[in-house]
Amino acid sequence: MRARQPDRADVVERDGVKVAYEVVGQGDPGLFLIPSTPITHARSWKGLVPYLSRHHLVVTVDGRGNGGSDRPAASEAYGPDEVAADHLAVLDAAGLTRAVVIAHCHAVPWALRLAAEHADRVSGVVAIAPALGLAPRDEHWAEPTRRWADEVDDPSGWALCNRHAWLQDYPPWPRFFFDQLLPEAHSTKQYEDAVSWALDTDVETMIAEREGRDAPNDLDEAEALCRSVGCPVLVIHGTEDRCQPVARGRRLAELTGGDLVVLEGAGHLPHGREPVKVNRLIKEFVDRIEGAPMRGGVWTRGLDRPKRALYLSSPIGLGHARRDVAVVKELKRLRPELEIDWLAQHPVTSVLEAEGERIHPASAWLANESAHMASESCEHDLHCFQALRRMDEILVANFMVFQEVVEEGLYDLIVGDEAWDVDHFWHENPELKRGDHVWMTDFVGYLPMPDGGEHEAFLTADYNAEMIEHIARFPRIRDAAIFVGNPDDIVPDTFGGDLPGIRSWTEAHFAFSGYITGFTPPDPDEVPAIRAELGYHDDEQVCVVAVGGSGVGRALLEKLIAAYPLAKRRTPGLRMVVVAGPRIDPGSLTGLPSDPGLEVRGYVDRLYRHLSVCDLAVVQGGLTTTMELAAAKRPFLYFPLRHHFEQNFHVRHRLDRYGAGRCMDYATSDPDLIAAAIADHIGNPVAHLDVETDGAARAARLIAELV
Amino acid sequence: MRAVVADADGAVTRDGITVRYERHGSAAPSLVLLPTWSLVHARHWKLQVPYLARHYSVLSFDGRGNGRSDRPTGLAAYDPAEFAADTLAVMDATETERAVLVSVSRGVLWSLRLCAEHPERVLGAIFIDPIVPFAFPPAQRALLARFDEPVVEDPVGWEKYKAAYWKADYPDFVDFFIGRMFTEPHSTKQHEDAVAWALETDPATMIATNHGLRVSTAEVMGRLADRVRCPTLVIHGSRDAICRHSQGVALAERTRGALVTLEGSGHCPHLRDPVRVNLLIRRFVEGLGR
Repeated sequence: MRARQPDRADVVERDGVKVAYEVVGQGDPGLFLIPSTPITHARSWKGLVPYLSRHHLVVTVDGRGNGGSDRPAASEAYGPDEVAADHLAVLDAAGLTRAVVIAHCHAVPWALRLAAEHADRVSGVVAIAPALGLAPRDEHWAEPTRRWADEVDDPSGWALCNRHAWLQDYPPWPRFFFDQLLPEAHSTKQYEDAVSWALDTDVETMIAEREGRDAPNDLDEAEALCRSVGCPVLVIHGTEDRCQPVARGRRLAELTGGDLVVLEGAGHLPHGREPVKVNRLIKEFVDRIEGAPMRGGVWTRGLDRPKRALYLSSPIGLGHARRDVAVVKELKRLRPELEIDWLAQHPVTSVLEAEGERIHPASAWLANESAHMASESCEHDLHCFQALRRMDEILVANFMVFQEVVEEGLYDLIVGDEAWDVDHFWHENPELKRGDHVWMTDFVGYLPMPDGGEHEAFLTADYNAEMIEHIARFPRIRDAAIFVGNPDDIVPDTFGGDLPGIRSWTEAHFAFSGYITGFTPPDPDEVPAIRAELGYHDDEQVCVVAVGGSGVGRALLEKLIAAYPLAKRRTPGLRMVVVAGPRIDPGSLTGLPSDPGLEVRGYVDRLYRHLSVCDLAVVQGGLTTTMELAAAKRPFLYFPLRHHFEQNFHVRHRLDRYGAGRCMDYATSDPDLIAAAIADHIGNPVAHLDVETDGAARAARLIAELV
Repeated sequence: MRAVVADADGAVTRDGITVRYERHGSAAPSLVLLPTWSLVHARHWKLQVPYLARHYSVLSFDGRGNGRSDRPTGLAAYDPAEFAADTLAVMDATETERAVLVSVSRGVLWSLRLCAEHPERVLGAIFIDPIVPFAFPPAQRALLARFDEPVVEDPVGWEKYKAAYWKADYPDFVDFFIGRMFTEPHSTKQHEDAVAWALETDPATMIATNHGLRVSTAEVMGRLADRVRCPTLVIHGSRDAICRHSQGVALAERTRGALVTLEGSGHCPHLRDPVRVNLLIRRFVEGLGR
C-alpha cells in the first residue's frame, strides 16, 4: 500500500506521446520531482513524496519510457527538446507556475535546462547524484561506452551495458547495475525496488532512449549549462556513487555557486537508501531559498517543564492497544505527574479515546499500517515479513511525522511498543534522537518461512544483522528495551547465518516484563455468572470462533462453519458462536446451515469476556487473543496465518511453553479433522502454566526508572 | 574576556552627539541589535553576538546615554526619533542597505518606527519582551504618569519609579528594577551584569531618557504598528514582570507576526535563556528566505 495516494493522476499528451504525472499535497513553493527515466519512474521518489507533500504541493512525472507514460519507439522521441517540452507541459497541466525542481542522475541536466531557459518557473534545483560531464567518469564505464554497439562475447559486469547484451537478455544489466549502485549494507529492499522499476519498461525503450539521449557530456557544454543557471542549487552526492563520481557533483556546486552535501559512504540512490536525511536536506533548502515564515508557539524553560512522555502503540492488531493502556495506567500510578500523549492510528485510537487518553493531533497524518497489512493478506495467509518490508514507505512517512512531533513537543520520554519506524530510523539517523527512548516488543528476530528457501533465509538474516549492528554501534538509542514476556518465551533459533542465538542476545540486550495482559481473567467462581449474563447455558457446549478485528479471517470462519454439522454430530449440545468482527459482514459468509446451534454475530463488545468463559475457542495465531485464552485457562484451537513467521514460530513457541492451546494447520484441516479436534478439546479442563498478571506493573517500573 | 572581538568599530555623530557602534561577522543578511533603554548598553547582547556573528553581519551600538556613546542633556535628545535616526546613521556608516532589526523592551519604540517609516531598510523585525503602550495595563499607565511626582516616605517597589527617587538613590532603584527583570531563580550573574551596566550612566541622564516613553503614546505606537509590513516575531516571557506578556500578544496581533511564548521566563530572556533566543533569532532570519 502506498503511504500517500496522489490527489490527482493524469497525463499530458504531446505528438501522440502520453506522459504521466501525479499531484499531491499543498503548500508553496511547489516541488517538481523528475526521475532518471526510463531506467526508473516516479515511484523511485516514494520515500520523499509523503513527507514533502505534507508541506508542499508535489508534482511527480514518470517521464517518457517508463511507469504510466508511453514508450515511444523512435530514438528521436527521447531527445532533450522533447523531454523539456514534456516537463513544461506537466508544470502547466499541474498548475505549477513556479517550482523547486528535484532531479536525479541524468534528469539533472533536464532540471538545469529548465532552470536556465525558464528562470521564472524554477526557484531552485536539488541535484541528486548529477550526471553531467563535468569530471571524468569512473574507469569501469570507458569500455562499455566505447563498445556499446559492438557484439561482445559472454559479457558480465559493466560490459553488460551493451546493446546486443540487452537485446539478448536485458534483466542481468539492471540486476548488476543496481547492485553496484547500492553499495550500502542491508539494501535488499531498495535493490529489489530499483530492479523492479527498471523492468517496468522494455529493452527496446531502453535502447531507443539511450541512443536518443543527448546529454551534455562534453565538458564545455556541461559547464556552459551550469553557468546558465541563476537560481540556488543544492547538490547531494554520495562518495561511493559508482554511476556518477562525486567530483561531478562538487563541480556542479562550484559552477552554480550552490551548496554541496556529500553523503559519506552513500551510493547512487540516497533518496531511496537515506530517505530521512534527503527529506530533511530538501526541506531545509526549500525553506532557506523560499523563506519559511515562523509559526508561533510555546517554549518552556527547562526547570519549569512538566515531565512529558509520548507513547506509540503498534497499530497492527488491537492487542497492543490494550496492553499499552494497561502499562500507562501503572505508569501513572508510579509517576502521577507524568503527562502522556499518544501518537497512534486507527484502530488503536478508538481504544484510547474510550479510555480518555490524550491523542496527539499529528496522529491524523500517520499512514495506516493496519490497512497496509490487510492489503497484504489473502485467504488465511499473511507473509508478515515481506509485508513489513513492503511497508517501507509508510514507515518513512510515519517516522517523519513522529520526528516533527518530538522536535516540537519537548518530550522527556518516548515509549514505542513495536514502533519500528522510530527504532529503525533513529538508529539510521542517530543525530535525530530526542528524549529517552524505551523500545518494547514481544518477539525478537525475523525468521524465514521454510517455503521461502535460501533467499528468504538470507533476507531475514540480513534484517536481523542490521538490527544487531544498529544496537552494537548505537547503544544510546535504546535507553531501555523491554521484552514483553520471559526468557523462556524466546525461540531457540538463531538470527540466521553466522549471527548469534536469539535467546542469548535478547537476554543480554533486554529487560523482561513478563506477559502483559490487557485485562484480568475472571476467577473460576465468577464464570457461571458471566456465562449466565451472556446467555450461555449449562447444558450447552459453547464454542466461540473469532478472528479479531482484521478482514483476514473470513476463510477460517467459513471453514469452521463448514465443519459445524460434523462437529455437532460428535459433540452433542454444541453451540457455535461465530464472531465476524467489525470488518466482515456476517451476512456475506457462505455455507451457513440453518441450525439453531450455529449463530453468526458481527461486532461483539468486550469479546474477551466471551472467550474467557467459553468451553472452547477457535482463533487465529495472534499473540494477544491466544494469551488471553491461556490466561483464562480455556481450551482452544489456533490456526496461525500461513507465512506469518511471528504466529508460526514466536507465538507458537510461547504457547507451547505455557502448554496452552492446540496448534492447527489451516491448509490440511478438513471439516472432519476440525470436528474431531473440537470434540477432543471442548470442555476439557486445562492444566497449563499460569499467565502472570503483573506484567504491566513490571513494564511500568522499568519505564518509570527513566522518568 | 570577550568571546569575540569586533571586526569593525566606529562612531557616527549627529548634531554633535556621538554614538559608537561595532560590527561582528560579515555574512548576509545584516542584523541590527538595537539599543534598549539607556539603563544598559550594547553589552546586553553579549550572549547573542558571538553566535549570530558566525552566520550574519551583526551591528550593535551603545544607545545614547550609556556605554561609549555620548550622554547628551535635555529631553529632546532622547526622543525615539533620535534613536531611530542613530540606527539609520549606523546602517549608513556601515553601508548596510537592509537589516533584520532585533529589539528588546523599550527598543521597540524605535524599532517600530523604523519598520513603519523606513520599510525599505527593514527585512524583518524581532521584538523581545516589547513595551507596548497600546496594551498597557492601567496600573502601568498610572505609574508612568506619576514619574515626576514627589516620592512617598520609605518607598517600596514601584514607588521607586520616580525622578526624585533616582536623584536620591539611583543605585537602590537599579537594584530594585533589575530584580524585577530576572524573576527566574538562579539569576545572580544576570542581575550583577545588568546592575553594573546601569551604574555606567547617571541619574540625570536616566531621568531624561524617560521622555522617550512619555511621548510614545498608545495612539502613536498603535499607528506605527499598523504600518508594519515586514515579517515580525515577538518573543515574550510568560512571567515578564516589567512588560506583561499580554503586551507581546497585542503587538504580535497588531503586526500580524508570530508569537513565541517563553513559558517561565522573565524580562530579557536573551540574557537568561540565551540559547533558545539565539535559535529563535536564527530560525526567524533563515525563514525570511534568500
